[in-house]
Amino acid sequence: MQLNSFMMDMILSEFEDAVGRENCSTREIDKLTHGVDYFWLSRMWADRGERMPEADIIVSPKDAKETSAVLKIANYYKLPVTTWGGGGGTQGGALPVAGGILLDTKRMNKIYDVNTDSMYIECGTGSIYKHIEWAANEKGYATMHYPSSLTCSTVGGFLAHRGIGVSSTKYGKIDDMVLGMEVVLPNGDIINTSPAPKHAAGPDLNQIFIGSEGTLGVMTKAQMRIYDQPESRQFRGFLFHNMTDAFKAGKELLQKFKPSVMRLYDEAETSTLIKKIVGVEKKGAFMNIAIEGVKEIVDVEHKIMMETFAKYGAEDLGSEYGEKWWKEKITFFYPGNMMDLPQLFGTMDTIAPYDKIEKIYWEMKKAVETNFPMARFIAHFSHWYEWGCMIYDRFIIDDVPEDPHEALRLHNAIWSCGVRTALANGGVVNDHHGVGIKLGRLMKEQYGPAMQVFEGLKKSLDPNGIMNPFKLGL
Amino acid sequence: MLISQKSKEIIDSCRFCWMCRHICPIGNVTGQERNTARARMLALSLVERDAEPLEGVADNVYECALCGACTKECVTGWDPVKVVKEVRSELIMKGKTPPYIMKLIENLQNTGNVYGIAEVDSELKAEIDSLPETADTLLFLGRDAIYKSPKSAIEAIRLLKKAGVSFTVLKNEPDSGYAIETLIGKTAESKGVMENCAKVLNFKTVVCYDPADAKVFLREYKEWGIDLSANVVTFTSYMAELIKNGTLKVKKSNKAYTIQDSALLSRDLDEVEPIRDIIKACGENREMLIFGKDTMLAGNLIMNEYMPDVMKEVAQSRWINARNMGAETVVTECPAEYEMMLSVKPDGIDLKTVEEVISECL
Repeated sequence: MQLNSFMMDMILSEFEDAVGRENCSTREIDKLTHGVDYFWLSRMWADRGERMPEADIIVSPKDAKETSAVLKIANYYKLPVTTWGGGGGTQGGALPVAGGILLDTKRMNKIYDVNTDSMYIECGTGSIYKHIEWAANEKGYATMHYPSSLTCSTVGGFLAHRGIGVSSTKYGKIDDMVLGMEVVLPNGDIINTSPAPKHAAGPDLNQIFIGSEGTLGVMTKAQMRIYDQPESRQFRGFLFHNMTDAFKAGKELLQKFKPSVMRLYDEAETSTLIKKIVGVEKKGAFMNIAIEGVKEIVDVEHKIMMETFAKYGAEDLGSEYGEKWWKEKITFFYPGNMMDLPQLFGTMDTIAPYDKIEKIYWEMKKAVETNFPMARFIAHFSHWYEWGCMIYDRFIIDDVPEDPHEALRLHNAIWSCGVRTALANGGVVNDHHGVGIKLGRLMKEQYGPAMQVFEGLKKSLDPNGIMNPFKLGL
Repeated sequence: MLISQKSKEIIDSCRFCWMCRHICPIGNVTGQERNTARARMLALSLVERDAEPLEGVADNVYECALCGACTKECVTGWDPVKVVKEVRSELIMKGKTPPYIMKLIENLQNTGNVYGIAEVDSELKAEIDSLPETADTLLFLGRDAIYKSPKSAIEAIRLLKKAGVSFTVLKNEPDSGYAIETLIGKTAESKGVMENCAKVLNFKTVVCYDPADAKVFLREYKEWGIDLSANVVTFTSYMAELIKNGTLKVKKSNKAYTIQDSALLSRDLDEVEPIRDIIKACGENREMLIFGKDTMLAGNLIMNEYMPDVMKEVAQSRWINARNMGAETVVTECPAEYEMMLSVKPDGIDLKTVEEVISECL
């Protein structure tokens, strides 16, 4: 609808009534700061002095009840609603590209319960994850969810985009760490997913909303798992002659036990980032492993790891590099250490079983470097399972078109090329950053007719199509 | 904007980085995206690119407490606080300072303090009048203590008396320059206030009761090239020394104390241990999870003049941190944090100034 000034005031006053005047904003400062997230295109746009599409009203509800009221108003007026947590996403998932309402969740940051009987924290989804880590630490526990965005992203943001942390191989992804959730449906109904995460009472409601990127409702409360602090955490760095050996060694190790951290860097990333941050000077593929838990068990696992990797010719680099990496694990992402504008760059993380993963790596590298000779391609493999692992592959271009529209075209062409190559060889659109507006166009290419399941859910729960338009390919 | 090249570099480095979001005491309680270093820098980067007018960021730069948590958190060394101060200077020069800040500046000009309070508390005045006219040591109380926390100032004076220290307090103590520098950054006006203050600090030792003044004397005066012949020390470090050298004989109690570290002391002046030495001499030190140089602000009295609800929430947040660690008594180092925490003190936990803790253990 056309928001003339009279209707704008009328609608604004309804939102103010729902969440309080101080929690509704049409100020420029609020519009522009919710218009740029960590998506390269939004950053580039701002860098060139262009204003991104902005919301008309920024609304900050404090709980499910207020969120429900907001969604009812938005549905009545058929206003787009984009949910924003920390804005640290790389896929443009939180960008209010259709205008309308920006629903900022950060006032929903209450920590309701640190439940050490059942080992979870119940919190508002607007909580910064680092804050729930602090809450766990205060009681002597830990969340074990340590992504680089730990300090800037919210519980809801990680859930919405199916995030992952560096200790995922042992503790799982964010979708493995949630017990139950409170969700507000687009029509304003408040639901709870399930009293327990594992059951046979039909499909898993948690997993319908996790990864839905605000297209099916708003998650307002979640119970997130906490863990004992490990009695022992041992690091070991290894240098493999090549990645083939490393994949074989990794796969074999995963059949025996699960390390917490397991990261393999290709030769290109070993000789650049790892050399710069961790100090490994040698050629090869660097792998960093952390084993943690009860000391006696860790000691046994350490012995098994050394024997397993020796079979594949891995050079033992000792514990020093691993410890340094752990200390610096977030340092990688600070300005000055990370790729940054004016460079054009992106992370095309994908995942596949072991029988496909190495081929995907080489095919993506070839496709990107052949079609875009100005691009450098580096990768690491950092989340491992018994059956396969993830590639965190990145392209970097130093000379970028000055015209933002041309830069956007180049950006999207590289992404389409890289992701289509992953799909053609058995990968997925994305592993743990989500889809957003960046990759929505490729969802149907991955899912084919299966996409109608998502579309059916969307149509049923959000018949007016107000929830985060143009995201997730919905 | 007429800001330094360094600040322009900081703006462009911080505008897309959220790494310090979790540590901002203001953003943590408001939940507002604009209360992050990255949002502030993003907005300023758009001002620099003529995509947003300067006045569009005016309120936002006054929503920063200048506590330096973001600067401390940044492993690559960027300093958003520097930018905020420079933009405050830019705003005053261009006549775009928000009216509620101009009101504080007027108060400062009319009464010598931002709070617009004309009279000093009578009990404090009597206590000051009881001191000798001259001495080698000056206790510099500061604006917050004199006008907003007189009971704390009286307690500090009485403690120094008990210690047998020969000292005085200026009957017409001037502004150190902290308030004006906070409001408009490093300008000729700020320098003028500091120069005037420096003229009356002709003592062998100046003991700063308020860490804010100590920070200005030890850092800002130096940056402006204003010489102070006096040896400037903080109240906490001075008291720790009096205990250490036996001038003040304290008896260790069985009480547990939880320190609310002042960001001005711990981050700006690198002073973390003296308060701990005092607490260890007086009882058990029970730390909060986030302490020392990582401390979180518990309140700012200047900001309380124009953001009172937010400042109350900031103080409440610190009470929650203390309670989560089983605190019995929280100990503050600066009058602003003491008064803010006192204003929202929950039942079941005590709040004391450092001088109160020492006095109880004598």
